[in-house]
Amino acid sequence: MRKWLGAAVLLLFMTACGGGERGGAGGETIVVGLRADLGGFNPVTNSDQYTGELINFALFTPLVQYDSSLAVKPHLAESWEMQGDSGVVFRLRRDVKWNDGRAVTAEDVKFTFDLAKDSSSASLLGSAFLANVASAEAVDSFTLHFRFVRPHAQALEDFWWAPLPKHLLENVAPSELRNAPFNRQPVGSGPYKVVERRANERIVLERNPDYPEGLGGPPPAQRIVLRVIPEPSTMLTELTTGGVHVDIPVTPDQTETIEKNQNLRLYAFPGRSLWYIGWNNSREPFTDPNVRRALALGINRQEVIDALLFGQGEIATSTVPPWHPLYPENVRPLPFDPEEAGRLLDAAGWRDSNGDGIRDKNGRPLRFEMLSSDATLNRSVVEQLQAQYRRIGVQVVPRTLEFQTMLAQHKARDFDAVFSSWVLDNFQMASAPMALFHSSIARTPLSTNRSAVQIPALDRLIDRAATTTDEQQLRGIWSEMTQLLQREQPITFLYWLNELAGTQSTMEGVEMAPPGEFMTIGKWRLNR
Amino acid sequence: MGAYILRRLLGAIPLLLGVATLIFFVLALAPGDPTAAYFSPNLPAEVLEQIRRNFGLDQPIYIRYFKWLGSFLTGNFGYSFAQSRPVADILLEALPNTLILAGVSLALVFLVGVISGVVQAVRQYSLLDGALSVITLFFYSMPSFWLALMLMLIFSLKAHEWGWPIALPPTGITSVDYEFLSLGERIRDRVVHLILPVTTLTLALAAGVARYTRGQMLEVVRQDYIRTARAKGLPERQVILRHALRNSLIPVVTLLGLYLPFLFSGAVFIEVIFAWPGMGRIIVDAIFMRDYPLVMATSFLFAVMVVLGNLIADVLYAVVDPRIRYD
Repeated sequence: MRKWLGAAVLLLFMTACGGGERGGAGGETIVVGLRADLGGFNPVTNSDQYTGELINFALFTPLVQYDSSLAVKPHLAESWEMQGDSGVVFRLRRDVKWNDGRAVTAEDVKFTFDLAKDSSSASLLGSAFLANVASAEAVDSFTLHFRFVRPHAQALEDFWWAPLPKHLLENVAPSELRNAPFNRQPVGSGPYKVVERRANERIVLERNPDYPEGLGGPPPAQRIVLRVIPEPSTMLTELTTGGVHVDIPVTPDQTETIEKNQNLRLYAFPGRSLWYIGWNNSREPFTDPNVRRALALGINRQEVIDALLFGQGEIATSTVPPWHPLYPENVRPLPFDPEEAGRLLDAAGWRDSNGDGIRDKNGRPLRFEMLSSDATLNRSVVEQLQAQYRRIGVQVVPRTLEFQTMLAQHKARDFDAVFSSWVLDNFQMASAPMALFHSSIARTPLSTNRSAVQIPALDRLIDRAATTTDEQQLRGIWSEMTQLLQREQPITFLYWLNELAGTQSTMEGVEMAPPGEFMTIGKWRLNR
Repeated sequence: MGAYILRRLLGAIPLLLGVATLIFFVLALAPGDPTAAYFSPNLPAEVLEQIRRNFGLDQPIYIRYFKWLGSFLTGNFGYSFAQSRPVADILLEALPNTLILAGVSLALVFLVGVISGVVQAVRQYSLLDGALSVITLFFYSMPSFWLALMLMLIFSLKAHEWGWPIALPPTGITSVDYEFLSLGERIRDRVVHLILPVTTLTLALAAGVARYTRGQMLEVVRQDYIRTARAKGLPERQVILRHALRNSLIPVVTLLGLYLPFLFSGAVFIEVIFAWPGMGRIIVDAIFMRDYPLVMATSFLFAVMVVLGNLIADVLYAVVDPRIRYD
């Protein structure tokens, strides 16, 4: 017994000291660290950002693709013809194959479209992104005709989604699509395919040797391993010690460490999450636009960005991010102007009549609760806002809640003010103001207009922004809408948070821009 | 003994059912909604309603309860809302990882704890006793997440920086090239990945075991039967290891019953910090996501572990102490 134990320990010791050169048989492997596990790889049921990026850039081939400046370029569709404002005809490439060898055809695209539009599949793609597309018709195996419900802005961008293989999914009931085993290890058509998946641990992608040259050809790296590492500081340790090559996302406080390390490279690009203070427009005193405006003028947003985000953010003026082609350059964000804020509050009747440092009106102090979720950064931002408001005689009572509890209160419009965020799912600009501000859903229970915004002039601009197809006109409308939002402050836009990622400096072919961190994943390689 | 165990197991059934029922209703009453956390805010309300229908959440709560109970009793745990796959698959994937980590840690906790406790008791008030007391109390009073980060800082980050011969991998259960390794390399790979999380867990928990063993041991060596054993001329080694140690294990066995469910439900922070894909992260994520079927299954499993832990402890009492009998 004792001898056996000794031998086992010795064996363990020897193997522990062995090692040496390893992993030669694996070819070139790039390791990517992610904070959370991904969802199902199914464009119809997906609603997660990183999962969506992998679907569009690594595993499937969308009809059209974005370049880094958000211009639309051909992808699975090699060309298209707009049918006026009423529809579009796509011609598909003939050399794109599913991983099982079959060709990707117009039938697959139509199948996917119909599946997304089927209400029982409960698809984000079908309900939100394809709301303006009525039908799809396969003219022949590689030609498709889509008809629109009505003329609408950015029509071509309705088609940034990838088809699913009809022959593998036609027997799955739409209501069961979300649970289909296909989603975990799909048969795709992109530069990579999923060969292994272990929950909360890793997803292994292998290069697709048949990926057509016309779309960039098979990727240079043999494998990409996506590892799930939930703790940010652990992830940075992995990046520093060479355990991962790419770290997505990096937290703002880690940017300096990465920039100082010459073996690492920092990628920072303007992101899609907009942080704002939501005012309950149906509650006093936020019914008064002058009070909302004063509350916007009274905060120093740049101070928040510099102090808490380490500079990794950009002041927001509307739901259009500064990097988007439709961003109105002529509109300035409201300045930090506490004097003007004080004058507006005075004029609205909010004065400090009892000398306690807090403004009041008819015996009621200007005091309100600000909800936020319990993440540390959110708490710090609310505390800083509280300090800033204190200086103009406004008392904020921070109230931090677990995320779901906060969301439930926010949705039920049971709040005074809330610090929250809105994430753009795609680059169709009309959808965000429609969801956040349109008065048609201001009274609907649990709708996305959680601030109960009802501004007729804003409604008209939102409707026009959705239906205008002329780009010059569209710019005018957005500029007008942004100015109106500055004036009215139905919610107060704070900042767009930068997307941050770190890589080893040996990584080549990496480009990160608004379409996503993974936009050039098919070109990533290691320079040894 | 067999009848006793059977009686305990049968008695556990209504207890477990009661626990499961309670969790079901508490969850249903908690604010939040499984469709809220991971679905885009752009989804129209009628689509959310459809998702709720697909999940079966549109039905009244008592119908949901009986449906859930029916399938649960037939061994069907249902589909996870958030991961969109059978709950059983999720548990089967995570359990082995937890078993490895918990099993190795548990064994080491008791090995290290008992040895240190015995040594301290035998050499009471010696320099060694004092030193071990200080060391164990030091680790006992240290927050585990901090200890974990410090170990990682020294043995992987700094070890890498300073070019130590072995820098431990900070996260994961295997290397990414695990499938290309030979058998010997695979064992080594597994072992080096276990070192940091197991060390953290062991250091934090072994201290308690050591304190209890020491205290009880000091009590036992003053008993008459120990004096008798010494008087009849047994070697000191045999007196301590055979006669004293066994009877001092009672409080240690109690601790075992308490640690077992704790370790198997996953030491959450260890799993998060060391990116260990085990049960703890699954439970916590499921709660935040309001992933009802998964929360139900994991908390039920946790309740089973508590019952089992207690039962094992009770049975072990009889094993270590001949004075205890269950007839």
